[in-house]
Amino acid sequence: MNEEGQVLPAYSQPFLQTAIRELTARGPLTAITPEWAWGGSTGQGVRVAVVDTGIEYDHPAVGGMVRGGVIVEWDDSAKDKLRYIPDDQPIDLAGHGTACAAIIHGIAPEAELYSVRVLGRNMGGKAYQFAGGVDWAVENGMHVVNLSLSTPKQDYFAMFHALADDAYFKNVMLVSAASNFDEPSLPSLYASVFSVASHAGKDPFTYYYNPTPPVEFGAPGVDLRVAWKDHGYGTSTGNSFAAPHIAGIVTLIKAKHPELTPFQVKSVLWACAANVRREES
Amino acid sequence: MPNPHDNSLAEELGRLLQALEAAGKTSFLGSPDALLNSIVEAAARIFGAAAASILLVNEAEGVLEFKVAYGSSDHDLVGMRIPLDQGIAGYVAMSGQPIAISDVAKDTRFNRDFAKSTGYVPRSILATPLLAGDRVLGVMEVLDKINAPSFGLQDMELLGLFARQAALAIDLAQGINNLSTTLVFGLKRLAASEAGQPVDDLLAAMQARPDASSQADLGKLVDLLNTFSRMGEYEREMAIKILGAVAEYGQNQHQMITGTGWR
Repeated sequence: MNEEGQVLPAYSQPFLQTAIRELTARGPLTAITPEWAWGGSTGQGVRVAVVDTGIEYDHPAVGGMVRGGVIVEWDDSAKDKLRYIPDDQPIDLAGHGTACAAIIHGIAPEAELYSVRVLGRNMGGKAYQFAGGVDWAVENGMHVVNLSLSTPKQDYFAMFHALADDAYFKNVMLVSAASNFDEPSLPSLYASVFSVASHAGKDPFTYYYNPTPPVEFGAPGVDLRVAWKDHGYGTSTGNSFAAPHIAGIVTLIKAKHPELTPFQVKSVLWACAANVRREES
Repeated sequence: MPNPHDNSLAEELGRLLQALEAAGKTSFLGSPDALLNSIVEAAARIFGAAAASILLVNEAEGVLEFKVAYGSSDHDLVGMRIPLDQGIAGYVAMSGQPIAISDVAKDTRFNRDFAKSTGYVPRSILATPLLAGDRVLGVMEVLDKINAPSFGLQDMELLGLFARQAALAIDLAQGINNLSTTLVFGLKRLAASEAGQPVDDLLAAMQARPDASSQADLGKLVDLLNTFSRMGEYEREMAIKILGAVAEYGQNQHQMITGTGWR
């Protein structure tokens, strides 16, 4: 559905053209511009994990930048029920992870991509596989982690909250898509993550800040041409594709300003959002 | 503890079960296929889709199985299986999130082998999970929007509403089927048992069917039956009547559900 339809996934309603709020940056904050934030950056030196269905390592849309990965499987016999299998030449089970990775690569072409495959046949333990994948990314030197998946189950609130805090304190940026349904969506509802929903625009660098969270950022997610499985492409819609736009921009910022912490990067994103006007002094 | 009354209880149960089988019921409630068929057909018509289907998760075998299908080559699809961890339907089952994707077949080998085997390669797909809480029961999908290149967000939201109805019907039927199948199985064992330890036999039968949620309910039922059977003639008859009423209620519910469609 396009703008005229005035319908977006539940968490994307604040990013309808008619709903976007105009905000104002004042004082020193006006000095933070896109040019300062990411001008000239390619994402070089930044490691980005895509926690998803895998990344097709030889898909042209990821430009040979997949540097490795892991498969997180459910294993009843293992001590913590999870098994981590190194995945140096990953495949993608569905196409979804490749779509996300290609969006990040399109924005930050020199960032290193890592495939963290957490979705699979096991239906019962998938929230734990998901959590295990986030934990792997935080513990294995990733700088940015794209999470275009979520769980609605409140039982996992504490587990994901602890993971999100751990990432935050270790300066790992978790970029989390809100659910396409109107339901609680973990970990996107935590203050420590970059939560993202969709707007209907197409420019990859145009994003909005929502002053009424939980979802803070709106990025392109409607009718996008995305990479898909088997060297393919398709046209798709969802918050899943909005999150990697923000992940890509965060990657550029992180490459240019490696010292920034998650809350500082969020401030930079806020100052550079398309709906934040810089007040002339 | 041997009880002289157990034999007559067993006989009564045997008669009840024979009557059930004569009526062609192996369990109290059938599958909600008729309801699902009407949901799928209604969805296809409302979305202007060439085809629509529902696939159910079979986790033990790691597959999604076509349960009902409407539209192009529907007669071929029902019963067909696809791997649970592959393709668009697989993604929806794995992630619990809906997806709309179009123009896929144009560029990719994605699932085309399977689609070709069904004689149908879709241009656009909208798929949404069938959820019971956070548990994914299956996937509902509509294929090829007529007069439009793809399905939009409004379609996605609307299909979610259809999926909720389908998921409720499936969850209810699966729950009742589990319970009633276990119950009938257990009662058969009880009816077939010689005088002696019918309760032990029944418990053994229950353990042979590992279904935790049904077991707890059935356990209570067994306790009650046993209590009745030890009270005397009148109570035993009452217990049989109650069981009969439950069976009748089940059959009525079945008729009510299968008879409540969109048409």
